[in-house]
Amino acid sequence: MTEMWMNMGPQHPMTHGLWNLRVKVDGEKITEAQPVIGYLHRGWEKMVEARDFQQIIPMADRLCYGSSMTWSHLYCRTIEELMDVEVPERAQWIRVIVCEMQRIASHLMWLAAVGTDLGSYTIFLYCMRERELFLDQLMNLTGARMTYNYPRIGGVRNDLPENFERDTLRVLNLFEKRLKTEYEALCDKTVSYRMRMENTGYLSKADAMNLGVTGPNMRGSGVDFDIRRDDPYEKYDEVDFEVCVEQEGDSYARYRVRMREMQESCNIIRQAFKKMRPGPVRVKAPRNAPKKTAFAHVEDPRGEGLMYVVGDGTNQPYRLKVRSPIFVSVSAAPVMLIGEKVADVPAIMGSIDMCLGETDR
Amino acid sequence: MAEEVKKRTTYRSRKELKPRLYIGDPMVAVFRTLVRTTINRPNTILYPWEKLIMPDCFRGRPGIRLEKCIECKKCVKICPNQCIQMVPIDHPTLGKVNRPQVYVARCMMCGYCAEVCPTNAMMVTPEFELAAYTRSDLMFDPFKLQYEHKPGYEVHSPMITPSELKAGKTESHDKGDMAIKDTVELDPKKCISCQRCAKTCPVGAITMADTGEVNPKTNKPVKRPVFDNNKCVSCEQCVEVCPKSCLSMKEAM
Repeated sequence: MTEMWMNMGPQHPMTHGLWNLRVKVDGEKITEAQPVIGYLHRGWEKMVEARDFQQIIPMADRLCYGSSMTWSHLYCRTIEELMDVEVPERAQWIRVIVCEMQRIASHLMWLAAVGTDLGSYTIFLYCMRERELFLDQLMNLTGARMTYNYPRIGGVRNDLPENFERDTLRVLNLFEKRLKTEYEALCDKTVSYRMRMENTGYLSKADAMNLGVTGPNMRGSGVDFDIRRDDPYEKYDEVDFEVCVEQEGDSYARYRVRMREMQESCNIIRQAFKKMRPGPVRVKAPRNAPKKTAFAHVEDPRGEGLMYVVGDGTNQPYRLKVRSPIFVSVSAAPVMLIGEKVADVPAIMGSIDMCLGETDR
Repeated sequence: MAEEVKKRTTYRSRKELKPRLYIGDPMVAVFRTLVRTTINRPNTILYPWEKLIMPDCFRGRPGIRLEKCIECKKCVKICPNQCIQMVPIDHPTLGKVNRPQVYVARCMMCGYCAEVCPTNAMMVTPEFELAAYTRSDLMFDPFKLQYEHKPGYEVHSPMITPSELKAGKTESHDKGDMAIKDTVELDPKKCISCQRCAKTCPVGAITMADTGEVNPKTNKPVKRPVFDNNKCVSCEQCVEVCPKSCLSMKEAM
C-alpha cells in the first residue's frame, strides 16, 4: 500500500471547530485533500424565516462567536438597506469602533489558536490575556462577553458608557506596546515559529483570486483589496488607514497581514474617537419591510461577509442568505496542502483562521 | 507549487536576525512576564473565592418586580427563543394575576424582555451562576424570578424618529415617550361594538364611547372604542383580539 486516506477531524486537535479534512498521504506527503463540512449545521437560514427582524439580531451573533459583533452589524446593515433606514452619524462611529475592537479580539483568538497548533502554549496565554482587555471593554459597553446583541436596525442599543474612551485608549496603548515587544519576540524572532510558518501553505495570487478567497488570506497572497477601502460602509471613508498586503502567499504572510491589521485597527479606533460628535445613536425602524431585495457586505476579520435578504412586506424575512468567507477558504485547502507534509497541516489550516459556525450555519 | 516557494529567497528580516536574537529575545520576553507576575498580582483570579466586578449593564438571567408588571405580554412576544410564558399566580397582595415565567435553560440572555418592558418591571440581573441539578430547577416561576431592584438595572434604548432626524433634532426619546410610541388606529366601518378591545387592554387605555347612533337591527346605541394614547403601551393585544381586524398599529415615524 503506497497511498492511503486519513481523516483529520471532526474531533481532532487540528480542527478549529467541527469539520473533517480527508487527506490522501503517500508516506508523509499529501497528494490529495478533501474538506468535508456539515457537522455543525443548525439550519440558521431556515430558522430566521420564522422570526421578526429584531429577534434575528441575537441569532446573528451566534453565527461566529469569535467575531459576533461583525455578524450582527452585517445583519443590521442588510436590513437597513432593505428598509432604507438612515443611521445617525454617532451610531456609525460607534459601529466602526466596536467592529475594529472585535477585529483585534478575533485576530488575537486566531493567534492563540495557531499558537496551540504549533505547540507554543505561551503564545496562547499571552494572546488570551490581551484579548481579555478588549472583551472587558466590550462587556462594559454591551453587557455581555461574547454574544453582544449590540447593533440595532437603525443604530446601536446604547451610547458609550462613562470613561469608555479613556479606558479604551489605555488598553490600546498597552496592547500596541506589547504587540511591538512581546509578540514580535514570541513569533517573529522564534526559530520554531518561523520554520513552521514560512514557505508552507503557498496560495498564489491567481489561485486566491480564482477561488474567491477573501480577507487576510487573500491579502497575504498579494491581492490589494479591502471592502473597507474599496466599498466603504459606515464612516470608513473618513478614516485614514492602510490596507495591509503581503506578497509571499504562505502561512507567514497571512500571519504578518493579521498582525499589521491589528495595528491599523488601533489607529482607526483612535481616529474614530477624535472625530466622534455627540448626538442620537438610534433611529426608529419600521416594523415591516417592503417587497424588494437587498444585500450588504462588510470586511469580516476572516474575509468578506455578505448577506442577501428578500422582503415580502411582512415583519419577517422571506429568505436570508449568508455568504461566509471561510466556506471559500476551506475549499482552497487542496491547493494549499498538496505537496506539503502531514505535520504541516495544522499550521496551514490554522493559518486561514477557521470558524465553522458561520460556514455551516 | 510549494517547491517553487522553497527555492525563492525568504524574508529579508530573517537573514538579518542573528541566532542570538532567535533564542534570546523570546526568553527575555517570557522571563520579564515571570518576574512581573511573581512580584505583582497574577493575571488570573481564584474564581469561587474571588469574582470579577461586573458592569451595571451586565446581562445575566432576567428578573422581575411583580408589583410593577401590567401583563402586557410584550416580553412574551419579543423573546426570540419563546422561553417566556404568562402563568396565573396567587399573590398575597396582588391577588390572582398573570405574571411571566422564564425557562432559563433556554434563555440566551439577550435582554430583549427588559428592553421592551414599558414599566421596567422586567430587568436583567447580574446573576450568571445558573447551574442546576435538574432541568426543572431552571424553570423560574414568577416568585423565583423576583429580584431586588437597584438603579441601573433597567435597560434604556434611546431612540429618535427618522422625521426628527431629518428635521435636524438631536434629542433622543426614552421608551414610553409619546413621540416614538406606536398608536392604535380604528377603522370605524368594520367595528361591531363588541368591546373586546376595552376588556383586553391591560392598562385601561380603551373606553367605549357612544357615537349617538342607534343600531336599527337591535335598537341598541352604537359604541366605538376611544384610545387614551398617554396610557397606551403599544402592546397590540387589542389588535390581536379584534374579531373583525378593524384595529391596526400606526407607527410614529
